[in-house]
Amino acid sequence: MTGHGRFVEDVVWPDTWHVAFLRSPVARGRIVGLDVEAARALDGVRVVLTAAELNPLVRSWWQTAVGPDAPQPPRRLLAAEDVRWVGEPIAMVLATSRYVAEDALELIELDVEEQPPVIADHLDRWKVEGEVGLVHPELGTNVAAQVPSPDRGMPMGNAALDDVLGTAPHVFDETFHQHRYLCVPMEARGILARWDPYRGRMEIVAATQGAHEVRASTARLLGIDETQVHASAEDVGGGFGQKMYMSTEDHCVVAAAYREECAVRWIEDRNENLVAGGHARTEDMRLQVATDETGRILGIKAHHVEDVGAFPTPGVGSNAKLAAAYLPGPYDIGQYFFSGVATYSNTNGKCAYRGPWMMETVAREQMMDIVAVELGIDPLEFRRHNMITSDRLPFTTSSGMVYETVTPRETLDQVAELIDYEGFRAEQAAARADGRLLGIGLAAYIEGSPGFGVLGAEQVSLRIDYDGKVLASTGSGSHGQSVETTVAQVVADSLGVDYEDVRVVQNDTAASPFGSGTGGSRTAAVFGGAARLAGEKLRRKVLRVAAVALEADPEDLELDLGVVRVKGAPAVALPMAQVAAMAYAGHAAFPPDLEPGLEAAHRIKAPTFMFSNAAHAAVVEVDPGTGQVRVLRYAVSEDCGNMINPMVVEGQIAGGVVQGIGGVFYEHFVYDSTGNPLTTTFMDYLLPTAADVPEIVYGHVVTPSTTPGGFKPVGEGGAIVSPPALINAVRDALRPFGARLTAQPLTPAVLLDIIEGNTR
Amino acid sequence: MNEHRIEIVVNGRKRTASVEPRKVLADVLREDCELTGTHLGCEHGVCGACTVLVDGDAVRSCLMFGVQADGAEVTTIEGVAPGGGELSDVQAAFRDCHGLQCGFCTPGFVITVRAFLAENPRPTDAEIRSALSGNLCRCTGYQGIIAAVRQVVRQRTGLPPGAEPPASDIRPPSVPVAP
Amino acid sequence: MKPAPFAYEAPTTVSEAVDCLASHGEEAKVLAGGQSLVPVLALRLARYEALVDLNRVGELDYVRREGSTMVIGAMTRQATIERDPTLRAAIPVLREATRLIGHPQIRNRGTLGGSVAHGDPAAEYPAVALATDATITVIGPAGPRIIEAADLYDGPMSTTLAEDEILTAVAFPVWCPGSGFAVREMARREGDFATVGVIAGVTLADDRISRAALALFGVGATPMRFRQLEGELLGADFLAVDPTDFGETLAQRLDPPNDVHASTAYRTRVAARLVAEALDAALDTARQETTS
Repeated sequence: MTGHGRFVEDVVWPDTWHVAFLRSPVARGRIVGLDVEAARALDGVRVVLTAAELNPLVRSWWQTAVGPDAPQPPRRLLAAEDVRWVGEPIAMVLATSRYVAEDALELIELDVEEQPPVIADHLDRWKVEGEVGLVHPELGTNVAAQVPSPDRGMPMGNAALDDVLGTAPHVFDETFHQHRYLCVPMEARGILARWDPYRGRMEIVAATQGAHEVRASTARLLGIDETQVHASAEDVGGGFGQKMYMSTEDHCVVAAAYREECAVRWIEDRNENLVAGGHARTEDMRLQVATDETGRILGIKAHHVEDVGAFPTPGVGSNAKLAAAYLPGPYDIGQYFFSGVATYSNTNGKCAYRGPWMMETVAREQMMDIVAVELGIDPLEFRRHNMITSDRLPFTTSSGMVYETVTPRETLDQVAELIDYEGFRAEQAAARADGRLLGIGLAAYIEGSPGFGVLGAEQVSLRIDYDGKVLASTGSGSHGQSVETTVAQVVADSLGVDYEDVRVVQNDTAASPFGSGTGGSRTAAVFGGAARLAGEKLRRKVLRVAAVALEADPEDLELDLGVVRVKGAPAVALPMAQVAAMAYAGHAAFPPDLEPGLEAAHRIKAPTFMFSNAAHAAVVEVDPGTGQVRVLRYAVSEDCGNMINPMVVEGQIAGGVVQGIGGVFYEHFVYDSTGNPLTTTFMDYLLPTAADVPEIVYGHVVTPSTTPGGFKPVGEGGAIVSPPALINAVRDALRPFGARLTAQPLTPAVLLDIIEGNTR
Repeated sequence: MNEHRIEIVVNGRKRTASVEPRKVLADVLREDCELTGTHLGCEHGVCGACTVLVDGDAVRSCLMFGVQADGAEVTTIEGVAPGGGELSDVQAAFRDCHGLQCGFCTPGFVITVRAFLAENPRPTDAEIRSALSGNLCRCTGYQGIIAAVRQVVRQRTGLPPGAEPPASDIRPPSVPVAP
Repeated sequence: MKPAPFAYEAPTTVSEAVDCLASHGEEAKVLAGGQSLVPVLALRLARYEALVDLNRVGELDYVRREGSTMVIGAMTRQATIERDPTLRAAIPVLREATRLIGHPQIRNRGTLGGSVAHGDPAAEYPAVALATDATITVIGPAGPRIIEAADLYDGPMSTTLAEDEILTAVAFPVWCPGSGFAVREMARREGDFATVGVIAGVTLADDRISRAALALFGVGATPMRFRQLEGELLGADFLAVDPTDFGETLAQRLDPPNDVHASTAYRTRVAARLVAEALDAALDTARQETTS
């Protein structure tokens, strides 16, 4: 805001070499010639690295969240004998500036013998086994993952569901398609690394959502100890999942620094970020839904097909397991079965993107509208009819998720009021009489946040320094989530100090406790919860130290805004600086069981899943002459438990909603049938602007969770549920034309075709 | 070496540099002037993150070469705040209204808003959205940014955005509006 | 995304500029506002040995009336055109079209001449020049010459200027009283290049159409005029014109491009509608002009 923020590209180290990658121009082919001599000879070029130099450095390559034994695509730093997607790094130039590095790229002679690529979008969409060939010949199949996994003894079907589908009065069957759209942080990826062979130390500054993951991945890659690596982030200009794990290029940079024993810097440009930064979405979901005569859902069968590209991250990039867990959402759906298959293709690999599993909500919430209309029930009533109500809590869903504190019915009712659902039909009828096409769409969901494995144990460490001010360090990696603000607020509140006296340190492996970073909507619940418990611990310690000074019982003391007072005797006050001075230097009188110092830490153990809920509603207008859509109104009702900071909550929701607007109407990463990307700049990959978004209206239902502080997840939901709310609104607007509208994106051309009766 | 000696007044201070003509103004500001507040979000003139004032006009510093700014006056985000930890009213409004999350696009927005309100002190809501449409933000959904502009309009004019002042309040613009 | 090296020339007069361009031959490129050229250079889609920067040629920055034309210097910024009160009165369509170009940051830097010479088939200014029957002045080593807007473009982003010629001015005829223009554009977002754009201009004399122009952009390799169809409007009573029919008829003659932003079919259908809207609006404006 003042220009004093510091991002990775603002970090300047001496004697640093700038990287540019030579990337594959074809989707699949054999490298038959690669001549880098002219590039090597260019003034200002330090070295041009190819697979021959760099790939042998790899010791191991896996992400903490999936573990060393999980399946991975056959990863390599640089393409060796063949290329597998347009944008795959083949060679790496280190030069005195990015300008010179790009000059050198133009001098590299590359000859690739093209082979027919496996491009899911163009092979009778989502055909699994590419008869044209294998993306990864090493694997012998293009299947990256399957659920249920046939070799793990999981049930491969649900006979009771098949029975329901065979006998129910109504069965609906629809397949939904979600196109490829991307995280697109405004700051692209970037990393600086330098290896000092004499101290045996790797220093890294990266644009990352989690510095500890950068450290761990680097150590694994090079076979060095994690303690030899210091990774940190400066300000991070957005991530949305793309910066959760180290990318191939990030790995190349640390490997190059290690090999060359110098400082290496890669600041990705926008063209690279669109073509080669992790991709997202790109999936189909088929839903078969059975209902009884009254419209009560009796069962749902789901089949999910994901295109994970060539080198997805983490693991094989499939989100089917979480999609399976979350699909029942806020409804009692009766019998249930979920299957899924993820397939490799010769395209850029999938990464996490804000609600990576969100196809379950995109498909389900569209299906709710389609079924309701087919049954002649209002979509709002149909949702109410099937929704889990508070009196049924705790509720175990058909997928085994246990909800304890969710309020889907309350948020649905609130959003209906906020958007004036009742009044809208008259408005719609009046508009139609004027030839205007208005529509309303609802969508509801339960936002699940994973609290298992490495994601489920996060720490906040607190230290009161000699001057009485508080340093909080966490394993989070804020990249626009205001974690500095919210953690400080929780600490100030639970410890009993002024907010201004708390400073938060994060995303630095030397300064923060081990943590998995920021992602998965866990920040408030996990880091907030840990901050609260750590604050309470430290408060008790402060009171014990103060009790020595005041010759009082700690029980008789209170701590507020950084001053300890004797209850009922407010004149007796001990400022925090004095307590701190005692704790560190004036501890002679401490009893033997009172440890000097003022520090406390808490590592929270999160529930396996944490849940919040929300309902969104959109009113849109479709221009019958151009098919262009304007979002006229947008309302959100959210229950994320106790809100640490409502402005931050609403900021997270708004950002997610506008990413949904982008995804549904504007953003589409397009490959042609040869796997060549067509939307490689912001001229072609269209992000929504301020002129394309409505004013968002918020309602909050506050039902505390059972975790410390009563906080719930909120970061991803806006992006998960806005797409179906918007699509449903457009479908409603185009109902006179019989629109099914099951494939995104909803471009003006698609909608105009429907209006003019060219397609359905 | 094909370098040109240039002199630019940046944020009121004279800066000289020897630059290759191909070096865009944003890189000259970031590297030669060491003012890294100007961010490059796309380098092809769409995202607006690199917006600076050149001789008072908001321009994209990725679409201008440093040599072209020789002799010009440039204002970057570092030159907006009055100093001493104080913020300009536009910056304060961004803070108050949660107009930034990751902060990467913010310098471009602040410069754009500053230039826009100097030219149009009483914009309508539609004019605000239009004026911001050349700057991309991925975090805020623009809600806080639009709110921030409205706040500045209210503070400066005492009126809500788009409102016409009462007739008695209209005075000839004898005092030029400071950029 | 950094440009390849080039030599840089910054002449301060037109004659110097002509000399500079001539001395570098075919490998040089004129740099005006740079709002289209610099991205092309940054993406390394093109490279030139030298750029001849016209931004210091002060004599190319002017707006003046010459008889029945408004003459605008090539280096006049789009923002200047947007604000100029004389132009606004004389050639209102120019301001209307200018406001559709990019965003304020683009218009502060982008120039009239740059846009006309670049000749993006989806850009506004080339179509305005074509619709208004503007003339373009260029100068080369052999001296100045004038090109009719209709003869300027010979392909996508390709003009009939010689390699050593510089576009110095565009003269827009001021259409006589009783004229009306309208611009209609469909773009995915505000400020984007047009998916389809239409400029319609008509002059009414005694309620009959005495002059008509229809220029479309974004629908072909160059901006396009439809003189035969315009001819069919001449002499017609304005009340007898059915803009919708006219739009449909015109659209049948189009074969617009198919790209990631829109299909051929989509552009054709939207063109029909926008032609109708633009013609309708132009007739309305002309009607108001004649009655006021």
